[in-house]
Amino acid sequence: MASFATFHLAGSRPLRPPFPTPTMTVLRPPSRSLFLSFPSLNAVEIKADPSVATTEFDFKGFLLKKAESVNRALDLAIPVIHPKRIHEAMRYSLLAGGKRIRPVLCIAACEIVGGDEAQAIPPACAVEMIHTMSLIHDDLPCMDDDDLRRGMPSCHRAYGESVAVLAGDALLALAFQHLVDLRNYPSSIAIPPAILVRATAELARCIGTEGLVAGQLLDMESTGLEDPVDIDRLEFIHLHKTAALLEASVVIGAVVGGGSDSEVERLRRYARCIGLLFQVVDDILDVTKSSQELGKTAAKDLASNKTTYPKLLGLEKSREFADELLRDAKSQIEGFDSLKAAPLLHLANYIAYRQN
Amino acid sequence: MAFSSTVFLYPNFPLRSPSSQITKPRHQSFPIRCSESIADRPPMSSPFDLRSYWTSMISHIEADLDAAIPIAYPDRIYESMRYSVLSNGAKRAPPIMCIAACELVGGDRSIALPTASALEMVHTASLIHDDLPCMDSAQLRRGRPSNHAVFGVGLAVLTGDALFPLAFSHVVGHTPASLVPPQAILRVIGEIARTVGSTGMAAGQMFDLLPEYGGEQEDVIVVLEKKFGEMAECSAVCGGLLGGADEEELERLRRYGRAVGVLYEVVDDVLMEEDKGVGGNGRSGKMRSNASVVRALGKGRAMEIVEELREKAKEELKGFGDKYGERVLPLYSFVDYAVDRGFKLESHVTAVAGDSAPYSP
Repeated sequence: MASFATFHLAGSRPLRPPFPTPTMTVLRPPSRSLFLSFPSLNAVEIKADPSVATTEFDFKGFLLKKAESVNRALDLAIPVIHPKRIHEAMRYSLLAGGKRIRPVLCIAACEIVGGDEAQAIPPACAVEMIHTMSLIHDDLPCMDDDDLRRGMPSCHRAYGESVAVLAGDALLALAFQHLVDLRNYPSSIAIPPAILVRATAELARCIGTEGLVAGQLLDMESTGLEDPVDIDRLEFIHLHKTAALLEASVVIGAVVGGGSDSEVERLRRYARCIGLLFQVVDDILDVTKSSQELGKTAAKDLASNKTTYPKLLGLEKSREFADELLRDAKSQIEGFDSLKAAPLLHLANYIAYRQN
Repeated sequence: MAFSSTVFLYPNFPLRSPSSQITKPRHQSFPIRCSESIADRPPMSSPFDLRSYWTSMISHIEADLDAAIPIAYPDRIYESMRYSVLSNGAKRAPPIMCIAACELVGGDRSIALPTASALEMVHTASLIHDDLPCMDSAQLRRGRPSNHAVFGVGLAVLTGDALFPLAFSHVVGHTPASLVPPQAILRVIGEIARTVGSTGMAAGQMFDLLPEYGGEQEDVIVVLEKKFGEMAECSAVCGGLLGGADEEELERLRRYGRAVGVLYEVVDDVLMEEDKGVGGNGRSGKMRSNASVVRALGKGRAMEIVEELREKAKEELKGFGDKYGERVLPLYSFVDYAVDRGFKLESHVTAVAGDSAPYSP
């Protein structure tokens, strides 16, 4: 859409021609009714979306089941060994709960290309370790200076700053160690080492200066500025700070699952769209919902003078943008088997229609 | 013998004045075993000059590091990475040991170069985080402001966070796939990750932060092994992995690397003790450790440990000498250099070199 020409997904490789014959959806006309109504939809009441109303897919159950597998593996990945304190700090943050969206995306991407859940567990753990590590460092006094994380004292409040820095570093290292260790994969499925080398490259790229770190840096440098940042910069921050790790999750899941290059590239674009979507929806919720509904302070972005999509584009245009992103994300998974695509479809809806 | 006369012209341990290392042989205050251990070395037909080996290697490594970190958007993070990684005075010891181990088992140095640079990146990342106000709170590193003093604490944290993945990217993206099987790459990534992780260098820093640590001999040695030994061990093992070493050789490289890493640090401790204030925190490129062998165990015991480690490191090399002949010389020379410090490195980048340990560029 011309009005959102800024959304060019910087750095994405050219996509292959679309997959032939989308089997599960009829292309809907660009409907404004979708975004106009979406703030009133319930987060997990997925039947509200016409495109998935016919499937019998239990999304909530899927999320819980996958998160459970991941939690089990994460628990085993970090035994409390010598030196105890650092391992306890790592576990404290890593096992603190959370929806495990990134690992679930990773597993779902592995399964959509025909892979097995078991082979996606190590990469799924790796992305959650990276996510946790970024939160630990993000909460530090020199960064966001947050005392609370998910209602509990943040890592540095519980263990001290120095341990928090080290626990973050250790989780980052462990993510790679865990990803490349062939012993973590089921012996029944031989994963070619070259596949894991490729997954390593993808994960490293998405979290470094071309990904997560770049987003955090720009976010940090944009905080407290008098003037709002422009749309390009805002998009850069979100694409890097949020979308990059979602991209890594989906891409390494698909790579480990044996996905073809064109499948991997479609899923990459899917992940970038829902990553940006996540932030746009976040911004919209901040101005449209009460603190009680959100479970956190509403209008926080306004109060902190943070640049948001509604501020730059207006509420209406922000909703249009969200709608456009959602449709783009869904169109990327149209070519896949509809049963296997259901989780990713529902995940996209879940991100778009969540209420907090 | 050519070997010892070229490199170790003046066995001058312990030093009293680092600035006079090359020109003035120092009185030996404890028996140096340099001459005795020559008998252990394999026969040599040509001299090996560690200084020129090291110096020529440094320029390769720095060219590779320079190319690996171009300035791109957002500039600040790249500037910050370059500030610390391409810092003057770095000796690049982990990369050089990695390349030497690769060459030992018959690999070409170009195979090990990306991993060598990666080792430097992760080590630099650890140093940047180690200097943070919440850790060692060091304002100086190698004679100039530490990373956070220049770029701010927030960016320093991010710079470390960015260097770890860059290291892994660099190994994967630049190691010639036609010469190194993917299994070896995966093992290299695993080795590096384990080394900087919660049971490796991060554990060493963790111990160092604990007030109860550092008094007992075992504690001190553990801290040294974690903070210094593991990096050298990883360097040697990665080089061996890339060059195609077999499992037994890898284990020997592992023990050798660990011994040399700790050896260097213990010698450093003794030198520091004799040289109070000079070559200390502000000038050093190494990781500071609160655990001092000399303080904890006394100089006498420290020197015994030096000899034990030197012996151990050379013992591990014996098998290599039989098989690979002269190619074992660089690794041999590291052991003696760790003790004797027979020369100061001079190169375009080390012009303002502090007297830092090779395992802590």
